[in-house]
Amino acid sequence: MTGTLHRPHTLQPPPFAPLLGRMVLAGLVAGALAGIYSLLVTERAIAPALDLEETRAAAERGAHDHGGALFSRGEQLVGGFLGTLLAGVVLAVVFAAVYALVRHRLPGHTDLARVCLLAGIGFGIFALLPALKIPANPPAVGDPATVGTRTAVYGAVLLCGIVSAMLVAALVSFLRSRAVSTAATATVAVGTLAVLLGLVLGLLPGSPDPIAADVPADVVWDFRVASLGQLAVLWTTLGLAGGWLVD
Amino acid sequence: MTSLQHAQPSSAHTRIQVPAWAWALTLLAIFALYLVAQDNGVVLAQFGDTAHEFFHDARHSLGMPCH
Ligand SMILES: [Zn+2]
Repeated sequence: MTGTLHRPHTLQPPPFAPLLGRMVLAGLVAGALAGIYSLLVTERAIAPALDLEETRAAAERGAHDHGGALFSRGEQLVGGFLGTLLAGVVLAVVFAAVYALVRHRLPGHTDLARVCLLAGIGFGIFALLPALKIPANPPAVGDPATVGTRTAVYGAVLLCGIVSAMLVAALVSFLRSRAVSTAATATVAVGTLAVLLGLVLGLLPGSPDPIAADVPADVVWDFRVASLGQLAVLWTTLGLAGGWLVD
Repeated sequence: MTSLQHAQPSSAHTRIQVPAWAWALTLLAIFALYLVAQDNGVVLAQFGDTAHEFFHDARHSLGMPCH
């Protein structure tokens, strides 16, 4: 055994089950923190939009009333927290599987560094990219008739983000196998990523919904900033807590 | 923290084997998220609508398209 200690590539990789368990624990923490953030910050940005919906519903009776029919606001606050918590756990399960697949290809000497890097990529694909192309909207903004189209655009943006990341990763592997210098590899990778993301943002259609005239711009933007902040809390905690637990 | 490395020596360069049950679990997790987040009563009919309404704020705040 003493000889193999100096040749790490001959050692066994860590087993999957403990990795999964620790990531799920991190997902619970991340989901809980993001859920608390949503109660403290995002819900405050949702409130004016709901007031607006109330006003509209009062103005035209019989119109589509989406908000308070099935659940009270209090119950929806609980649902918002639990939904975020659940999203954190689900994300952690998928994250653990993807991390197991790509760990040996990620740069970084510790699992903490690698988990944080993968979480950063995840935040880029699942938070930043959609925020640029089809940003989050509070209630009262969307047209219920276009939710199918918007969901398709959202899905396409995520898919394009995943494919872009895989293409850049394959390119980096190829350049490294050809012993291309780190600086040149980094330059080519960043350039390729910029072109790919430019194509994604330029070629994909945007949201078909105009923002209704009676919705003040700051209601929309407060909500978008709050939503992006919530996703940042989720991914940052998943990366730091997951990395710390796995390392 | 007890390290995975301490529990079992690990390599930076070999692939972690993902057992088949883990893939099944991953698919289940994605499906659960889909039900909560996107299913507008398509798969679960009435329950899908109920779940949608209950988790409604999470949908919006996590940036998913909604009404
Ligand atoms: Zn909605």
